[in-house]
Amino acid sequence: MSLYRVAGKGRVTTAKPVSFSFDGRTYKGLEGDTVASALLANGVHLMGRSFKYHRPRGPVAAGSEEPNALIGTRRGPGRFEPNTRATVQEIWDGLQVTSQNKYPSLKFDIGAVNDAAYMLFSAGFYYKTFMWPKSFWHKVYEPFIRAAAGLGVSPTEEDPDTYASRNMHCDLLIVGAGPTGLAAARAAAMDGLKVVVVDENPEAGGSLLSEPQVQINGQSAWDWLSGELDALQELGVKVMTRTTAIGYYHQNMIGLCEKVTDHLAVLPEDTPRERMWRVRAKQVVLAQGALEKPLVFNGNDRPGVMLAGSAQTYLNRYGVLVGKQPVILTSHDSAWHAAFDLHDAGAKVQAIVDTRDSVNEALQKEARDRGIPVKLSHTATGTSGRLRVKSLRVNPVSGATVGAGYNIACDAVLMSGGWTPSLHLFSHTKGSLAWDDDRTTFLPKETPEDCVIAGASRGLWGVAAALMDGAEKGRAVVAALGKKANVQDYSVEVDRAGSGVSHKELPTDQNPGKAKAFIDFQNDVTAKDVRLAVREGMRSIEHVKRYTTTGMATDQGKMSNINGLNIAADALGKKQPEVGLTTFRPPYTPTTFGAFAGYHRGDHFEVVRKTQIDSWAEENGAVFEPVGQWRRAWYFPKSGEDMDAAVRRECAATRASVGIFDASTLGKIEVVGPDAVEFMNRMYTNPWTKLAPGRCRYGLLLGDDGYIRDDGVIGRLSQDRFHVTTTTGGAARVLNMMEDYLQTEWPELNVWLTSTSEQWSTIALNGPNAAKLLQPLVDGVELTEEAFPHMSCIECTVAGLPARLFRVSFTGEIGFEVNVPAPYGRQLWEALWDAGQQYDITAYGTETMHVLRAEKGYIIVGQDTDGTVTPYDAGMGWAVGKKKPDFVGMRGLARPDLVAEGRKHLVGLLTEDHSKLEEGAQIVFDKNQPIPMTMVGHVTSSYDVGTTGRPIALALVEGGHDKVGDTVYIPMPDRTIAAKITDTVFYDPENNRLKIGSGV
Amino acid sequence: MSVSISTLSAGVIIETKSARVSVAAPKGRLSLRTRGDLGVFGSALGVEMPSKIGACVRSGELEVLCLGPDEWTLMLPQDQVASIFDALNAIYEAQPHSLTEVSAREVTFEIEGTHATDLLSIGCPRDIESIPVGEARRTVFDGVTVILWRDASTQFRMDVWNSFAPYLAQTLETGCKEIAAELA
Repeated sequence: MSLYRVAGKGRVTTAKPVSFSFDGRTYKGLEGDTVASALLANGVHLMGRSFKYHRPRGPVAAGSEEPNALIGTRRGPGRFEPNTRATVQEIWDGLQVTSQNKYPSLKFDIGAVNDAAYMLFSAGFYYKTFMWPKSFWHKVYEPFIRAAAGLGVSPTEEDPDTYASRNMHCDLLIVGAGPTGLAAARAAAMDGLKVVVVDENPEAGGSLLSEPQVQINGQSAWDWLSGELDALQELGVKVMTRTTAIGYYHQNMIGLCEKVTDHLAVLPEDTPRERMWRVRAKQVVLAQGALEKPLVFNGNDRPGVMLAGSAQTYLNRYGVLVGKQPVILTSHDSAWHAAFDLHDAGAKVQAIVDTRDSVNEALQKEARDRGIPVKLSHTATGTSGRLRVKSLRVNPVSGATVGAGYNIACDAVLMSGGWTPSLHLFSHTKGSLAWDDDRTTFLPKETPEDCVIAGASRGLWGVAAALMDGAEKGRAVVAALGKKANVQDYSVEVDRAGSGVSHKELPTDQNPGKAKAFIDFQNDVTAKDVRLAVREGMRSIEHVKRYTTTGMATDQGKMSNINGLNIAADALGKKQPEVGLTTFRPPYTPTTFGAFAGYHRGDHFEVVRKTQIDSWAEENGAVFEPVGQWRRAWYFPKSGEDMDAAVRRECAATRASVGIFDASTLGKIEVVGPDAVEFMNRMYTNPWTKLAPGRCRYGLLLGDDGYIRDDGVIGRLSQDRFHVTTTTGGAARVLNMMEDYLQTEWPELNVWLTSTSEQWSTIALNGPNAAKLLQPLVDGVELTEEAFPHMSCIECTVAGLPARLFRVSFTGEIGFEVNVPAPYGRQLWEALWDAGQQYDITAYGTETMHVLRAEKGYIIVGQDTDGTVTPYDAGMGWAVGKKKPDFVGMRGLARPDLVAEGRKHLVGLLTEDHSKLEEGAQIVFDKNQPIPMTMVGHVTSSYDVGTTGRPIALALVEGGHDKVGDTVYIPMPDRTIAAKITDTVFYDPENNRLKIGSGV
Repeated sequence: MSVSISTLSAGVIIETKSARVSVAAPKGRLSLRTRGDLGVFGSALGVEMPSKIGACVRSGELEVLCLGPDEWTLMLPQDQVASIFDALNAIYEAQPHSLTEVSAREVTFEIEGTHATDLLSIGCPRDIESIPVGEARRTVFDGVTVILWRDASTQFRMDVWNSFAPYLAQTLETGCKEIAAELA
């Protein structure tokens, strides 16, 4: 048995010892221990160093609110987690634990010089120190702040764990499995109601686990608890442990983080480390309980100084005495019971020091009976001991006078400043709070959600009150769910509901300006820091918080907020509610990124869409690029080729013979109905009435502002049926826009839209040999200039597959797009590939497609246009039907700004030195003008040598269409490049190459 | 996690004691958009056209799902697609509509087993239990729009556009193993 373990106490399994290491030394604990309880059982209180002053620290609490005992945990490569609370981490055989924020060792830490220099690190230290000189920011201050910032060490290896997520719907979610939550669950446990209780602890029970003396309905607390849990399970209630409700979101959605494997010595296969639950509950009961408040006095952070209620938890739940000669320092009745429990377990309680001048006589008698000295009307003014408290200095107080101090030797100081209702989740609901003067705390008032708050979290102390309130609130929510609740009576004996008073920092006989009386332990904020902040002009608690960083540590001020507020209010001479309470934000406790990411990591990071030809591209060495959610083949390098070389080869081969390209990602919309042509006339700028079935036309889509939104080739399959194509990225947007117009503007039209993007695999063949390659495979049409001219479409068969064949070109070469039902995509590709071998067919990717289209001056919407480019700006006035009565964007195009002179026009650019321009580079007319120069446009597309013998670029330039032949300048960091404005067509301006049999 | 569906071959992707996920054999699938007198369509198709969103009606091998106020999906054997086109073409003049073949657009995952609803809950925010047997819903699964059919209490079909199928197959495989591990 370890030094501080008490036989017969606690819920740990004595028969199951567990070995773990702390800073390289092996310790023994018991199954059921946390790292903190196991170390305390071995007499180890020193577990970490504080953030700013590097002061030695031990656990001050026993639960998730712990600010001090932050550790690193490790189980093999990649499985390292910093800043884990030692009070929460369960031990298992082989667990490796390290302390943090110390160098070279926990017991001797160089950073502790900060503690001696504490006068320099006062509130607002950062704002005061790092102000000047300005030049120091990058080289001195920022690196210093970054090095000093944060606790613990970020993991450097990739996390091999997996994380999961799940959705859940229930009638009633109860947060907290203490007496309140269990009573609420019992009221609602019935057929037809799905009731879920969650608790962050490894077992349900809440305060009952720390208060075994309570008798409920004639049973001991623990017997009652185990019976009750069985009964609830029997009734279908789901109790989830190790599951923290981290946030309360709109419309009763609660986020739960379930820790699945952190307590296990052996990781089960296929099991995630954590699981994020997104719960939609019809009703919610919040029963989070209350958190004990520390007292604020000089030296209240020394290892061994901890909350009295936590000491009780260590004793009753883990069988651990936190000290053998503890002294109690309190302003609340509850700590008296801690004294009695520790005394009864064999500790020699040195004294109960109470700040109050009168205390319940029954408590005083119990102390007398045990021979514990009682000191009322006392304050505490200091502690001694380097790495562990050795004595507490106390002084009698009479009125405003603090008498002479004296030391009480001890090995632990158990303090209680009373209890603060846990309002975190309630506050997430935007619930309003009301200040309660009697209890010196905020209590919950109203919430917009379907949620009630019960028990200690609304300021009711004691197990009896918790059970009664839980049952009552349970009945209320069951009624709200339209059911009749179970009625359960509770009789409770040996309850310890008490009362107390609340303090700002305790009075002292010494210089309060030198007192290290901590409010926020983790961020090292003292009472004098808060007072200094007020003196320096901070008036709102939000400003005090940010100036001093109180409440801004990873515990979000669970312990410090109320003490900080009380002291700030005192310094301001205002009531607390006038100073305000800072906002609680999710998550309730620190939550891993993994839990938020869930399944979305590695190759499942985000949705990836693949075409049916993707696998061929992968097998043939394609390099991919993401285009929206799609992954598309970018280029197909042969061995030794870089991207430029591969693209040059692909371009040349396509123009020389034939290239094959996967165009399946193009958006496709089938527009069908008697009013299809009227709809097309209204949507697109072009006229459609005279387009005969079997013919295609390039369509330009504007927003109602007159700017280009999308484009694509559109085929008329029959009188009433159009096959519309859109850009890859625009598919969903265009369909939505069309549906919008149809449903809101033109509901009278008999026309309907169906997305067929994924009905078809689309393969583009381009090049002088494209028709020759394709003809033998096509059944139903002669691929001649006469029978199937450029911009034709037909339903036929290709390679034996049902197909929609389009004769279109995005390269300037003879071009076809073959659409076959999607699953046949790869089969068709391979058929064309085989047939193309005699023509040295070349597969090309999106980069070559971009180069070839740019050589022809074909725009890419979103690259050469940016939502401010009209058809006229783009040199595409020819696509606007001049005789049409209306189309989307027609009125927009008539706006004064859009018809004004000097708009930016799309033009070609050829650099004088044959260098490649940077896409996005700014353009100026006069390179000698003073800086800042007047920028007149930018490069939208730029490519290295394709098939035109030199780099080409497209650019938007003010008045560009009237400046063809002029020289403009592109200033770059190292030089200024001169370029000549040209037409946008760099290749075959006469379009001779589009004709089959033209002999090129 | 790596599943590759390059060709949509039917078959089991994964089977554990929690659930079985497979790709269904190809089927004919038509999208019908119209308004007005549904009775005319019912007569032409030989079914009572459902008008409640999410409702499904079956007649022989034809299954009709109402997906929206003017949208229906028709599922049928592939070789009957042409006859449906013929039947509805005959009423086009009287009852204008759009009938578009989307057989190849989607892949159907079949998800069944004691824990099929749990498996769906890893990616679908909807309350799966609230979908009546025999109905279907347009919803999302792991960020992707799907149609979810509940054919029996623990038997579902999930229709998804084919480009998303490999990604969702990964999710389903991971979830299937995870839930099986919970049962272990």
